[in-house]
Amino acid sequence: MMTHTIKKMLCLMILLALAGCDSRQSAFSGLGPVSSRITLLIWIMFTGAALITVFICALMAISIAGPAGWRQKLTTEKNIVWGGIVFPIVVLTALLIYGFLILNAGGTLAQAENPVRISVVGEQWWWRVIYRHDDGHTTESANELRIPTGRPIEIELSTADVIHSFWIPAYAGKIDMIPGRTNILHLVADKPGIVTGQCAEYCGGAHALMSFYTVAMAPADYDAWLAKERMNAKPAHVLEGEQLFLSAGCAGCHTVRGTRADGKIGPDLTHVGSRLSLGAGILPNTTEGFGKWISRHQTIKPENLMPPFDIFSENELQSLSVYLNSLE
Amino acid sequence: MAKPVKRRLRKLLPWALGLFAGGIVLVLVIAYSGIFNIAASAGHPAWMEWFLRLGKDRSVIVNSQSVDVPELDLAGLVPLGAAHFQGGCATCHRMPGQVLNPVYDQMLPPPPDLQTHAPMWTREQLFWMVRHGIQFTGMPSWSGHDRDDEVWAVVAFLEMMPSMKAEDYQTYANGNAGAISKAQNYSANEIASQGRPKISLSACDRCHDTSHAPPTSPYVPSLGGQDKAYLQRALHEYRRDLRQSGFMEPIAVELDDEDINNLADYYASLKVLAGKPARSLSSEGAGLGRQLAEHGDLSRKIPACLSCHGANKRPDYPRLDGQSEQYLRQQLQVLQRGVRAKTPHGAIMTTIAKRLTESQAKAVAAFFAGQSSTEYAGHKAGEGLR
Repeated sequence: MMTHTIKKMLCLMILLALAGCDSRQSAFSGLGPVSSRITLLIWIMFTGAALITVFICALMAISIAGPAGWRQKLTTEKNIVWGGIVFPIVVLTALLIYGFLILNAGGTLAQAENPVRISVVGEQWWWRVIYRHDDGHTTESANELRIPTGRPIEIELSTADVIHSFWIPAYAGKIDMIPGRTNILHLVADKPGIVTGQCAEYCGGAHALMSFYTVAMAPADYDAWLAKERMNAKPAHVLEGEQLFLSAGCAGCHTVRGTRADGKIGPDLTHVGSRLSLGAGILPNTTEGFGKWISRHQTIKPENLMPPFDIFSENELQSLSVYLNSLE
Repeated sequence: MAKPVKRRLRKLLPWALGLFAGGIVLVLVIAYSGIFNIAASAGHPAWMEWFLRLGKDRSVIVNSQSVDVPELDLAGLVPLGAAHFQGGCATCHRMPGQVLNPVYDQMLPPPPDLQTHAPMWTREQLFWMVRHGIQFTGMPSWSGHDRDDEVWAVVAFLEMMPSMKAEDYQTYANGNAGAISKAQNYSANEIASQGRPKISLSACDRCHDTSHAPPTSPYVPSLGGQDKAYLQRALHEYRRDLRQSGFMEPIAVELDDEDINNLADYYASLKVLAGKPARSLSSEGAGLGRQLAEHGDLSRKIPACLSCHGANKRPDYPRLDGQSEQYLRQQLQVLQRGVRAKTPHGAIMTTIAKRLTESQAKAVAAFFAGQSSTEYAGHKAGEGLR
């Protein structure tokens, strides 16, 4: 009985551990120059540490059960100086220098000309994403990062409330978002693809549900997407949903550019229908997803700061969901 | 010397235990036998009367010690307390100018005549009794959960009542429905067939606004011009004990769906009286209130009030302009305490109200109190859809 439970637990843990190997959110996937160097460093350190462990185990075995002559030799002062002082200093210094070089990889990216500039602001518990255009204008979006492949990306990280940490394991190491500071993250995406990112610093109740998709696109696709993102929302076909959005007070917190809705408290919803997820990487972006989020978001993402809107009839919820999903 | 005493005590112990157990058995036997007469007509023997009174008085005195008395706006609260007394308390406790009802006078203990008894208690003690009720006496506790703010209106009235003339009392208690009491001469035929006309508990005019008068108290909302959907929702919520109010719940349970529908229609079409000018507020406070109403406060994640309460609002959201500052502040405090979180609409506002600081709540209440409906109709948030 007992062993059965333990076996089950083991299975579960192995499955969970394997789930980490999914390349979408894995530091091992190394989809850009920064993250692939980090991956290399991880492997060098892992292999080195494994070799050293084996070597030390062998020495211990000898010192306990080896021939008397070998044991005698191990105690000489020369061995202690070389093995105990010189070896660690040399190895650790080499690793440190190598680590600095990797850090510098981001630094060289910093000097790259004409990077794609994006600001990400951590909020409890979602991401405000601001694309900075070359002409000085900005376009606000949320909970999804789109980047072109092959071009250096410069992301300004800041926070609106507490400490968050911005981490897209497939592209770069994590960097904290600290109140009163702006940190810069540099990265390059080698090829188009979709990966996920996650807040990596506990930031309150819904921290674990503060996720986002990152979409790397071919440069031409990205430019086309950004031009579309920059535009106002298309006028709604069916006015009912839009009318509900405005009269129920959604506009007090959310912006839909091109309508009266200009709230700044919550995520910008101008093109929310074209995003991959809802609620910061929590729900699929479908009409049903919107319905679920609006009516049950406090159970789906407990403690999130949106007031509960349990007031809509089935029909109202449907028109509101259709309207939001149509904001592409 | 010590030893024999101890030994003697030890010998006594079984006797003491036996006596105690015997006592319990005796009480059970008396209760089961039914020989104790609990008839209200039997009254209490003098010693019992003394004992019960001692227990009750001491309990009120001791328990009311933790009551904190807020600053009471007596002039504003008395009309509200009077109207509730008339509807809920006067049956048992007698209203000024009337004799004690002979039926309720036969209760045991008989309900005290509050004109002589109210002055015997302190403000804290009156509050405690009205708020919590008293066991075995028929005195109920306050039916609006966590609505201590309402209880204070009754306390304010109880302090005032002993010095009130019967006519003054009628004026307060009947409020805007006062006209009926003035026509005193009813024909015998009328009385014989329908009884002496009296103002029902469900007469809204006792407190609320009419076509010619504002609400009787600043703690009573003005209903004229609210949307029908909002008025209906409020009454249904009171009736189903979802929205808490010791004043409104007993009234709402007397209304059926059709009454609610008709009343909502009536008040939705009742024209709004041109409001009195709001209390003067410092220009800084006025600016803060307007800022919150129109733009909210991004740093505290408070959306603009007018995004929900503006001219383009849903019909089941309330209109705020022209309500009194006192009423709005009180409701914000009730929301902040989470009392209204049980209803879906209340839950939305609870989230927002909890983000307001005290000075913000004050400023925004003053702002809406100072707005008349005509003023705000021209506001930016009131513009039609694009």
